[in-house]
Amino acid sequence: MTFLRQYRDLVSMELRSMRGEVPIIAAVQIGFMVGFVFGFGYLIPGITESTALYIVTGTATQGVVTMGLVMLPQLLAQSKHEGRLDYYLSMPISREAYLLALVTAVGVMALPGIFFCLAVGAWRYDLALELHPLLPVAILLGVGSLAGVGIAMAVYSRHPQLTNALTQLIIFYVLFFAPVLMPREQLPAALRETARFAPPTYAADAIRATSTDLPGTHLGTSLAIMALFALGSIALSALAIRRRG
Amino acid sequence: MSAPPVLALRGVTKRYRNGTLANAGIDLELRPGEIFGLLGPNGAGKTTLVRQVLGLARPTSGTITLDGVDIVADPGFARRNIGFLPQGTFDLQSLTVAETIEFAARLRGIPPRAARAAAARLIERLDLGPFRGTAMRSASGGVRRLAGFAAAIAAPARLLVLDEPTNDVDPLRRVLLWELISELGRGGATILLVTHNLAEAERVIDRLAIMNAGRIVREGTPAALRSIVTERLRLELAAAGTLTPHPALVPDGAGAYLFDAADLPRVAAWVSRLRELGTVLDFRIGPPTLDDIYAAAMAPAAAGRPGPGLAIEGATA
Repeated sequence: MTFLRQYRDLVSMELRSMRGEVPIIAAVQIGFMVGFVFGFGYLIPGITESTALYIVTGTATQGVVTMGLVMLPQLLAQSKHEGRLDYYLSMPISREAYLLALVTAVGVMALPGIFFCLAVGAWRYDLALELHPLLPVAILLGVGSLAGVGIAMAVYSRHPQLTNALTQLIIFYVLFFAPVLMPREQLPAALRETARFAPPTYAADAIRATSTDLPGTHLGTSLAIMALFALGSIALSALAIRRRG
Repeated sequence: MSAPPVLALRGVTKRYRNGTLANAGIDLELRPGEIFGLLGPNGAGKTTLVRQVLGLARPTSGTITLDGVDIVADPGFARRNIGFLPQGTFDLQSLTVAETIEFAARLRGIPPRAARAAAARLIERLDLGPFRGTAMRSASGGVRRLAGFAAAIAAPARLLVLDEPTNDVDPLRRVLLWELISELGRGGATILLVTHNLAEAERVIDRLAIMNAGRIVREGTPAALRSIVTERLRLELAAAGTLTPHPALVPDGAGAYLFDAADLPRVAAWVSRLRELGTVLDFRIGPPTLDDIYAAAMAPAAAGRPGPGLAIEGATA
């Protein structure tokens, strides 16, 4: 069976397998993102257009982070803990196809919430968003780069609780110490340097580049770096789950 | 000359990094078309053995071959040729029962239309029709188990590894499941069956091995193992109320009694008299079951002495 056929079957299987959870996940994701968009408006009076654009696109990125770095690793860690992962691993399927299918399924699930967040943000702050045809690609690659890291965390950590704790730390970092909700220049030098190695930086940059006319974005570079992150971490994760205990 | 084994384990040992010895020196052979039972208490090393056979765990030493191919070196061969029903949760979230079976077949290389047909046939066969569209997460444990079983056999495989296939399954569907397992065996499938349901498994098992503390402690056909439970008989009875057992009887822990064959005249007279009095409604005296053999094999390890009056001798260790 070819890699592509396996991948197609696995994506279809994963999407159907998650369909019962979609309404709940979408509701939580939308509630979380809309809350952010409105909450920052109360926190920062007299918000400028540029800041609003960062808040709206940063919140959309936060949605990507939540799906890729929180939901996916937690699902996978649970599945590993309960032995369900062994069932998949006993199948004659490519590990890379399985992981890529997981990433794709989660990415597709993230799309509606993120578009909704951008729409609500534009309405709330009266922004004129300029949606680029590559926006869905940016979102999917964003999920891919983050989900790859998420999968690696789930595969390498010994307990689901450890994965959960790590994901909380990452959310904290993305919220306050990464150039996601704020321009890179506002961060101290050390964090600016750290951000160069953090996939959320590039996800936020790509989402801004494909939905706003904010200066200083680098769409091509961000997409390429996210693709590298995604492929690299999926390959590492595949190696990890291929390893026999 | 007998056919070469489908699955052969030679000196398979697994010691984890923390020093735990999961299994030691396992030698097993499964012949073509054989239904082989693997029994043992929790922690006996059965799951590790299954994971080794599936290519999910690498033995510290020893060899495992499937159709002559070294699956320690080539675990992909095991994955392509083994159908597997895991012991644990079989919860594929919102996938329906039909989709679960269909996708398992597709992932094993069956084209979509044929996979759908296989799923429909198995749903019919296992009387899962009313649950065809039920999401796995909403299905009862028994239905999930049957769907998992169907998923394991939906595509042809050289070896089927079925870990506790009857867990949570209702009695009527258990009958269907055992029939199908038996049919698969007659059709030439080689099956490694891990189970605690000895009373039912006994009807389909060709040979079995009993594991304890990571080792095979007994191996043979049910008849051969039964014959080594020396000079023992089993009494099953239905009493109208409570009764004081005959001094020769030893409870087996599952509602029946075991006794020395030499005591047969006394026990038979005792139970016949109670039946005439109406204290005993019905009784049956017969050979020991696999449960008895299993209990006897385990008892020395549990208590550091022979089991409840049973002496097992001469078995393959």
